[in-house]
Amino acid sequence: MAEISQADLAEKISVSRQTINAMEKGKYIPSTLLALKLAVFFKKRVEEIFELEEID
Amino acid sequence: MKTRFLFPAKFRILGWLIFIPSLAAAAILIFSDYNLDNYLQSSVFAIINSDILAKPQYLTVIKNGIGDEILLVLILIGGLLAGFSKLKNEDELTSQIRYESLVWAAYFNFAVMLVATLFIYGLYFLNVMMLNMFSLLFFFIIRFYVMLYRLKKSVDEE
Repeated sequence: MAEISQADLAEKISVSRQTINAMEKGKYIPSTLLALKLAVFFKKRVEEIFELEEID
Repeated sequence: MKTRFLFPAKFRILGWLIFIPSLAAAAILIFSDYNLDNYLQSSVFAIINSDILAKPQYLTVIKNGIGDEILLVLILIGGLLAGFSKLKNEDELTSQIRYESLVWAAYFNFAVMLVATLFIYGLYFLNVMMLNMFSLLFFFIIRFYVMLYRLKKSVDEE
């Protein structure tokens, strides 16, 4: 996967860096819209980036 | 992202500039038991007015010291702008934090009111009711900015 900083990614999908950070840490579950934007950006399917956990 | 019900970001600073001084002025007045009623006497239109031991009057013009009205209007407008203007990095996470802070503030405010109802009596309860005019807004703003600060800190610590 191409190296990209949180700040760059944040700018590309127009959210704040804190949001990217919170998602990476699993502290924030993004909206469907944001998940789809991420999938388009990384050219992956949403399920390849996010997955259901036991507690969900 | 589309955000509903929020003011443009430029109003946020203006909100703080109104909110802090008017809140400070109100705090000083309340704790010093200073009475504003005799100042800034003006004619105001009243939908309803009642003086002690007099019949209520409807849709009439009365004399009233408008200092407290001005102060409360400033607190409410300043607070609304400070709490409900877009942040410069507004996105879905900050919107979620805003809504959660609002729910938290509602619970906290009514918990405070429950306690005040049970344990504060007499004229002081009037003070409680007066503070309740803007306490929810106040608790919301505190909670919202504390949560934003924590979020910022958790990212910066990396």
